[in-house]
Amino acid sequence: MTTTLTGSASVGNAIMRFGFLIVFLAFFVLFAAWNPVFLQGGNLSNIIEGSAVLMIVALGMTLIVATGGIDLSVGIALDFGAAFAVVAMKSYGMDWFGAMCAGLIGGSVVGIFNSVLVVGLGISPFLATLSTFFIGSSVQRIFTNGGGPISHRRMPEEFRNLALGDIYGIPTEAVVAFGLTVIYFLILERSIWGRRIHAMGMQRSAAIVAGIRVNRILITCYVVVGVTCAVGGLIAAANIRMFTPLSGFSYLLDAIAAVFIGAALHPRGRPNVPGTVLGVLFLGMVANGLNLMGLNFNTKDALQGIILVSALALAVAQQKMRRS
Amino acid sequence: MPSHSSASVRFSPNLTGYIPLTIFLGVLVYISLNAPNFVTMRNLELVLMQSLPVVLVCAGLAAVVMAGGDDVVSGGIDLSIPATAVLSAGVTAQMLTAGWPLALCSAAALAACLVVGAVNALLVTRMGMTPLLATLAMFVAVVGVNNVITESRRINVDHTWIVALRSQDVVGVPLGITLTAAIVTLIFFLLHLTRFGLGLQAVGGSRDAAETSGLNVSRLFAMSFVVAALTGFLCGFFLLARGAGSSPGVQDNLMLEMVLATFVGAAFSPRRVVTLWGAVLGAVLVTAISIGFKSMGVNVFWTGLIKGSLIVVVVALAAVSNRVR
Repeated sequence: MTTTLTGSASVGNAIMRFGFLIVFLAFFVLFAAWNPVFLQGGNLSNIIEGSAVLMIVALGMTLIVATGGIDLSVGIALDFGAAFAVVAMKSYGMDWFGAMCAGLIGGSVVGIFNSVLVVGLGISPFLATLSTFFIGSSVQRIFTNGGGPISHRRMPEEFRNLALGDIYGIPTEAVVAFGLTVIYFLILERSIWGRRIHAMGMQRSAAIVAGIRVNRILITCYVVVGVTCAVGGLIAAANIRMFTPLSGFSYLLDAIAAVFIGAALHPRGRPNVPGTVLGVLFLGMVANGLNLMGLNFNTKDALQGIILVSALALAVAQQKMRRS
Repeated sequence: MPSHSSASVRFSPNLTGYIPLTIFLGVLVYISLNAPNFVTMRNLELVLMQSLPVVLVCAGLAAVVMAGGDDVVSGGIDLSIPATAVLSAGVTAQMLTAGWPLALCSAAALAACLVVGAVNALLVTRMGMTPLLATLAMFVAVVGVNNVITESRRINVDHTWIVALRSQDVVGVPLGITLTAAIVTLIFFLLHLTRFGLGLQAVGGSRDAAETSGLNVSRLFAMSFVVAALTGFLCGFFLLARGAGSSPGVQDNLMLEMVLATFVGAAFSPRRVVTLWGAVLGAVLVTAISIGFKSMGVNVFWTGLIKGSLIVVVVALAAVSNRVR
């Protein structure tokens, strides 16, 4: 990155080039100055732990956006993952391993449904996943008789550890999120399969001519994303020891924002895993920092929205500068 | 596949073009056979009254989609209209409660909404953001600001003019319906019979061609967001009338209904493009079906399932019938 700076060394240019990173650091310094608690190790690991579920969902979103689509039903896959796991333990007395498998199957159901709509019926991903969202929300309401949570106080210890345990002192959910990030990075940025996905997302017709099996890749992607989001659902369920219907919706917008912040940081504007990580950490940091400022809930929400718009605008403007 | 079929398709309105509309009407006939009081003047009036806010935001969205092209992800879309509508309602309600005259309240609401429209336009045409992303982020920001203004409380409004919008009849037709019809007609004239509107459609049809023929593409596209914000502003008053005040959380459902109605409306047009009439018809029909199933005694929990299936059936059939032709 630094090598590209040599020719045009004007300050304005530099700000535009590294704008997003500068803003990231500025917010970091601001929050640290406002409340010293922000910088303490405990809080920083809080940010990472709190971002784990969003990170997992955003990884899935990255994959779908890379294929040239969008997935509005990630929250449904998350809910289904949580619901299947909790019900498996509560009603069928399964152990933690069985419950996890059930949760992952729940997520894959959503993925299969999406791929039937997108590949089988040829509906555009936006409308297809929107209808999955409608149908999935309705199914949850019918199933829970209106949206009441299903709690399971006596969860197996192993399952609880998904959210509360740690591996060599690192919280399990952070380890899981990190592991998935590495896997996604290797698949999307370092494998032939990932090349094909990017080729497809950039120009579908060219990819078809080049002999890439577009439909097969799309089906796999939607199922993989469903399963990935279900992992997020497992963690969320283990954390609060219950399944709360329709709770996945709250991750949708942040996941989209993280992916597009990441895409804007990429030289060619492609969605990519490292960029998404940066986007997720930024969103997590802002939410945490604003919380520590002790603002009123509504003000905090509004500020978060305004920061989101500005950050996205800046990231996109920065990308435009780099291209020209 | 689309490139393959579009070459062989003649865009003439023939019978297969109306399959989606027929499905909708079929569902409505089924409802009216099973729900005793569905086809009464009173109930049809209720359906229309309920659909008014959705009709208005759909008209605004149709304008943006016309100007930006109908690819949902990269083309024109404005998801922030429902947030603008809620902002308009929130500002008006809050100021009315504080004792300001209605004219001043609506002026302030108009100013706020125009700011939203201008920021949308700026983000999309100057910053080069994808409309989907820009307006989705604006949706969150505007809802956040509105929650600060109203403190996430419900605010009752009983101003005579707002009440009149709900319950006043003019020559037997409710005032709200007449006004909405007038507004939609006005937007129709603006989009189809003025120089501005034709330019807008040219930009949506082919940006390159419009640019070559000397149209100011980004200015026209920017203006479509302002038109959308204006419909959001007007919708705010109908929200106030429908809910007898401003209540938090209306925007989420309004957004889903808007997207549903507008893009299902596209399936009504023989060419499968988003049109003003398609969007308006979509809004009314979707409301009619929701109310219809409710009056048939179907549990409310099922409405999402029914709506989702409707998108699938209508859009998939539209795609299939295009391939067959």
